[in-house]
Parts: sequence; structure tokens; C-alpha cells
Amino acid sequence: MTPQDSAARPNLWTRLQAIDRRWIYLVIWIVVMVPLLFPFPIKPKPTTPVEKLFSYIDTMPAGKALVISVDFTPDTRAELQPMIVALLRHAFATGRPVGVLAMAVYGLGLGEEALSQVTAEFNAHATTHEDSVINGEDYVFWGWTTPPLTVLLGMGERIANVFPVDYYGARTESLPIMRDLRNYDDVGVLVTVAASAMPRSWIVYGQTQFGVHLGCGITAVSAADFYPYVNSGQFVGMLAGMKGAAEYEQLVMERMAKNKMDWGLRNRGTEAMSSQTSAHLAIMAFIIIGNIGYFATRRRKS
Amino acid sequence: MLSCLVALLLCSISPPGNVAARDVPNDEGGNISVTWTRSPDTSVTSYRLLRQSEGAGEWETLGFVGRLATQYTDDAAANGRRYQYRVIAASPVETAESEPSEFAVASAQWYDTDTLPALVGTAILVFVFLYFINRAKRDRNLFIRRISGLDHVEEALGRATEMGRPTLYVPGLSSIADVATIASLNILGEVAKRTAKYGTPLIVPNTDPIVYTVAREIVKESYTSAGRPDAFTQDIVFFVTDQQFAYAAAVDGIMTREKPATNFLIGMFFAESLILAETGAATGAIQIAGTDAVAQLPFFITACDYTLIGEELYAASAYLSREPLLLGATKAQDYSKAIIVGLILLATLLALVANVSVNRFL
Amino acid sequence: MQRKLPLTIVLLTGIFGAVAFFVPHGAIRSVDSVFRNDVQRIIAAFSLVLGVGSIVQHHLIKIQRKATFWQYSWITLIGLLLTAIIGVFGGIDPNRPGILPTHIGSFSFHIQTIYSNMMVPLAATMFSLLAFFMSSAAYRAFRARNLEATLLLAAAFILMLGAVPLGRTIHRELPAFAEWILAVPNTASKRGILFGVELGVFATSLKIVLGIERGWLGGGGGK
Repeated sequence: MTPQDSAARPNLWTRLQAIDRRWIYLVIWIVVMVPLLFPFPIKPKPTTPVEKLFSYIDTMPAGKALVISVDFTPDTRAELQPMIVALLRHAFATGRPVGVLAMAVYGLGLGEEALSQVTAEFNAHATTHEDSVINGEDYVFWGWTTPPLTVLLGMGERIANVFPVDYYGARTESLPIMRDLRNYDDVGVLVTVAASAMPRSWIVYGQTQFGVHLGCGITAVSAADFYPYVNSGQFVGMLAGMKGAAEYEQLVMERMAKNKMDWGLRNRGTEAMSSQTSAHLAIMAFIIIGNIGYFATRRRKS
Repeated sequence: MLSCLVALLLCSISPPGNVAARDVPNDEGGNISVTWTRSPDTSVTSYRLLRQSEGAGEWETLGFVGRLATQYTDDAAANGRRYQYRVIAASPVETAESEPSEFAVASAQWYDTDTLPALVGTAILVFVFLYFINRAKRDRNLFIRRISGLDHVEEALGRATEMGRPTLYVPGLSSIADVATIASLNILGEVAKRTAKYGTPLIVPNTDPIVYTVAREIVKESYTSAGRPDAFTQDIVFFVTDQQFAYAAAVDGIMTREKPATNFLIGMFFAESLILAETGAATGAIQIAGTDAVAQLPFFITACDYTLIGEELYAASAYLSREPLLLGATKAQDYSKAIIVGLILLATLLALVANVSVNRFL
Repeated sequence: MQRKLPLTIVLLTGIFGAVAFFVPHGAIRSVDSVFRNDVQRIIAAFSLVLGVGSIVQHHLIKIQRKATFWQYSWITLIGLLLTAIIGVFGGIDPNRPGILPTHIGSFSFHIQTIYSNMMVPLAATMFSLLAFFMSSAAYRAFRARNLEATLLLAAAFILMLGAVPLGRTIHRELPAFAEWILAVPNTASKRGILFGVELGVFATSLKIVLGIERGWLGGGGGK
């Protein structure tokens, strides 16, 4: 056998370099599914952007509202829905009035689902009217309208003009919560939860023109895009991806425990951390194997 | 009785002081800002704002603010009418009223002075732009560096023609208001001219109805100017859906069924970028991508053969058409960036010097 | 005239839009508000009609010619028609029924049903494809071919570890270092690209307003 023959015959590394994609897909499927069926507990430690948003909402002046803008569609629900649930729990546990709107029409169902879930959690443990979370008194779901610019600019003047009727059909002006929630001036912080460039529009129109304080919850892949805005203070804080949601859930659970609200609630962001860890490790293993194979085949050729 | 009077005097709270009212500047009117210094008494729980318009006898209550507040904006003032204000400090047992403020008038301004830096910057950039446009009219051979992705457009289209397979052009997922979409449509015009000339089938799926109508007109015009109006058919350019992942599924379906030899992924993309690029790579197509969405660039660079990064996308129409005015505008962009870089360096130096000087002084 | 009119409209509205940014007076802002809100809404509504017309025509042609996989075109058209009928006549959810009978057995004819049981799972499935595609792209393309690629790989490893709680187990400061990479060198390079992009947007907008860039008109090139 000549040296050329041995070089031409494929070995393990050359075969690995040309492996069918579907084997990789299978491995990924296994490493994501198994931890979901047999989870191992992982509690992430909160990072600075998450802590900033949490403490800002926690120390807002009394009476100032938390407004959540549901700016994403169902495809990113797994990553972003836990953020909305955690924000709502935080607001209701600390007695903040809440306003919810959707800038994407498919966000309506997601906003409604989050509100239904969290209000049911709180009302299940309420013993008095003050403990309860009541639509129109403690929160308002304004719904959706178009075009986005109408909302971004109109909310600076009068929210009731932008949303004359709430999602459930009631006249917005007739709701008790709207007496002290007229426009951006009554908003402590507006948190936009998005998978697109919508947070930038909130800065350009809402903050630049009206000075409203903003926070954001975005997908992990977009986090790098928005760090400049967090560094410059245009966002008071940021939740990035499912890990950001899991970190915020930890902080909210600690706050609720301090307020004697230890109700054993499910935290979907935290639950997904084991799958996410396994998937990251699998991808790192792929990269290492790919590079070993690359150097091995390169040496063989030379 | 005397002891009651003494007790009353000892318990009375001080009113807020220095109540001032002035028009809120740089707005469309209707806003007056009221400021005051807080009462020194710690028993004060809130402040009530009162307003009286000139000539009216009564004081009307505007609202309440907390004990830490020192400012309130009256956003219901009528422009041109004179108002004065009072602030009442309230504790659980008593109130203390301030002296009325001077009269203030709300008015609308014609220029927002806060935008002065933006105005100056805009003026400088417009000047640079117009200078190079003028220069381009005289000197028609302005230099622009090579852009690898655009150099390979001909080669990519030639490959599709030789293999007898179509070319797929995805103009991004944003609306016509997005400048990246307009830049993409300009490139589509040039690509369509070439596919018309070579007789290569072209597929242009769209996610925005307005972009679809504009793209259809552009492709039709390109086929006409290439001398092949007969080759243009209605199903070259079509609307699919405005839903992000439904559109990605549709384009993936086109890639796996039609197996285009060349894919152009040019415009604004979001999370679906890797789904499109990786599916195209799996079908063996040569892929040229271009986007100004910084978050999606790594995916395109990984999965595509050539990628136009950021402003290379905006230079593309000038690069492909070699129109002198467009080349001039591209040069203006470059010089504007150089001015900004110079200003950043200057500001950094000044900040460094200021910091060092202050520290030495301290 | 066919070209002059749209170019004139673009010039005037472009200049007006820029002026409205600097002028807070109600007289200017109210007109600007009409352009941005009312006019946009009307155009968006009509353009949707054009879009639906296009997709119907496209698939009808495929069915007529019996092009490859023409059967999928039937599925598309039937799905479009059914969703439209249910959306217009079937009501929003069980609390807000429409004209159509609202359910057959346990299956309900509401747009919320289609949304929750079809849109949501389908969109989530497409998005989750990213996990698989990311892995195959990483395996295929992430090679330490040169110094820059090696640095990129090292940064990617640190960030991936920092993004999961395991990173903190490996080293206490790893998540903070990963955050530093995102917050400092990555932000600096992104700001650089952003400067170029925003200048490109400025230049392209100016070219369109001044009528130098006319590709969007359907003519191509510049004058």
C-alpha cells in the first residue's frame, strides 16, 4: 500500500467531517428531551442587567405603574412568556398598578394568557378585596391597535385616546385604574418584551420625545444588540433570553417569600435551564470534535 | 384656652416656599411647570396643587403629589391664558397654604432647542453629501473599494444558468419603510436585468404586500430594459404571508422543491435568518447574503458563501450600477464616518485631559 | 408626469417629516400625525387586499398548470378560505361567538381555536428548528482556520458557558467575564457597525428624498 492510497482511504475523522446533518439533529433532540423528562435543578444567579430592572421596579415611587408591552409572537413564546409572568407576579406582589398592551396582534393571546394565569394565582390566595387582583382596578389590558406609531406617540398624550376600549370591551376612561394612569408621566417603567427591533422604536419615540423610563425583555440572540442601550442608561435593565427570565423568576420568588407569598408557583424559565445547559454543552462538543477532525485531516493531507 | 392656643402654634406646619410657575419649553403648548421647595416639617404627607386663571375668582384643584415631590406639570393649560398657582402642604391634622406664584402663560414653540446637536449634525452631513454629489457630476470615476459579495453576483447567476436551475431572491422581511428593503430592491433590479439577459428563472417570494407590488414593478421594468418583456410572468414575484416563520417555512419549501442554484438573501432579517441560510446550504446552492441587522450577520457569515455587512448593502446599488451620483453618495457616507471617528477621538482625548487635570488638581 | 408626481410627493413629505422632528408646534405636529397614522393605516389596509390577490393567483396558476407539488397549492387555498370564513363569521372565542354555529362536538369554530391550536404550535416548531440548524452550522463552519477564527471560537465557548448556570460552577467569575465580552468588545464593534448602518440609512433616505435613488419607482438606477 502506497502513502497515497492510505491518504485517499477515508478514516474516522474524514467520515466525521462529512457526517449527515441528521445525526447531529438526533443528538440535539436527545440532549434537549432527556433533561425535560429527568430534570436536574439549576438556579441561575442574577446578573447585573436583570438586577437593575428588578430593583428599579421594586423601588418605583408608589402609585407609578408598570406597563408591559407584549411585542412578540408565539414562536418566541418559550423564551419570552416566562418574563411577562414574572413581571406580573412582581408587580402584583408589590401592589403596583399594571397596564398591558400588545404591539403585535398575535401578542394579544399571549398577554391574555399571562394575565389569566397570574391573576388566578393571586386570587386563589386572596382573602380580602385588597388582596385580590381585579381587572380595571389593579390592572388594565388595553389590547392592540395599529399603526405602532399611533401607540408610541399617542400614549405620551393620553392613553385612553389610543385605546378607547380595553381588550374586554369596557370603555377605558370608565376604569378606576385609569384615573391615575393617564399617560407616560404616570408610568414608572415600561417594559417592552420583544423578539424584534421594537424596543428601539420605544426609545426613539417614547423615551426621546416623552422621557418615559424603559426596560426590555428580549431573546438571547438579540441581547448583544441591546447592551449599548443598557450601558447608556436608555434601558434601566434588561432580561436576555430564557436565562434572563430564570434569573428574574428567582428574584421575584425571593421577594414574594419576603412578603409571605411562598405559594410553590411553577417557574418555566428556571425549569428549562437544565435542557439549555445540556444543549450548550452538546454544541461545544460538536465544535471540539469538528476542529479535532479538521486538524487531523489537514495533517493527513500534508 | 391659652394652653390650647400655645399648643396650636407649636403644632402648625410650614407652607411650601418659592412657588414658581413657568411655561414648559420646546413643546406644542398647554404645559406649565410648577416648582416649590418642600415644607421642612416631616409630618407633611402630600401636596395639593391649585390653579387660578387671571380674572377668575375661584381656585381649582389640579391634583395631589407625594411628600417628596417638588415639581408638577399642569398639562391642561390653555395657550395664551395667564395662570397662577398655589401649593398646599397637608399633614394628617392640618394644611398650610403657600403664597401664590407669579403668573405664567403656556405657549407653543416653533423650534425645539434640545434638538440643536441633531440639527448641526444633519447640516454637516447634508453639506458633505451635496459636495460629493456635485463632485461626482464632474469626476465620473470615483473610487470605491472592492466588495467581494457583489463581485460574485455575475458568477453566481452564471452558475444558475449553466445548471438550468432557478435563482431565488429573498428581499427581507421588513416593510418598504425600512431602508434595508429599499436597498435590497435596488439590487433586485440589477439581478433581474441579468436573469432576463441569461434566461435564468427568477423566484421572488415576499412577506409584505407593499414590497410585493414594488418588487413586481421593479422586476417587470428590469425585464423590459433588458429587452425581454415577454419573459416576465406574474408568478415570478408573489406574496406569501406576513407571518415571519410561516414565510420561512414557505421559502424553505421553495428551496427544497425548486432547488435553486443561487440564493440571494438581501434585506432585513430576524430570527429566521439561519433557518433560511442553513436550508439553502443543505441544498448546495451558492448563497449571497446582505443585511444591516447586526444580530443576524454571524449566521449569514457562517452559512453563506458571501455576506454584505451593514453599509455594504447600501453601497450595493452604486457598486452594481456604477451610476456617478450614487457613487458620490457612497463617498459622502465614507467621509461622514471619518468625521464621526475624528470627533470621537477628539472627545476621548479631551475627556482624558480633563480627567488627568482634575485629578492632578485634587 | 408619471415619475414627476411620486418624486414630488416624496420630496415634500420627506422634507416635512424632517422638519416635524425639530418643530414641536401643534400646527406642524398635527399634520405629521395625520401622515404617520391615518394615511399609513389606509395604505396598509388596501395593500393587504393586493397581497391576498397575489397569493390566490399564484397558487391558482400552479393548480391550472399542474406544476410540481400542485397539491400543496390546494391545501394553501383551502386553508386561506377556511381561516377567512371562520375569522369573519365564526367569532373570536367562546365568550364572543359569531354568526356561524360555534362548535361541533368539542371542536369550536373560533379564530382563537385556530390561533392556539395551529398558529402557536406551528410557529414554535419553526423557531425551534433554530436549535438544530445552529448545531449543524456550528459543526460545519466553526473551524480554527486562522487567528481570528480561533479568537472567535474561544469567545463563543466562554459565552456559551457563561449563558448557563454551569459556567459559574467552573469559575465564579466566568459569567461576569462572558458579560464583559458582550458589554465591552462586542458592544464596541456593534457600535462601529451601527454608525455605518445609520449613516447608510441617512444617505439612502436623502438619496430617495432628493430623487437620486429611483429604484423603488420601478425604473432602476439614479439620475
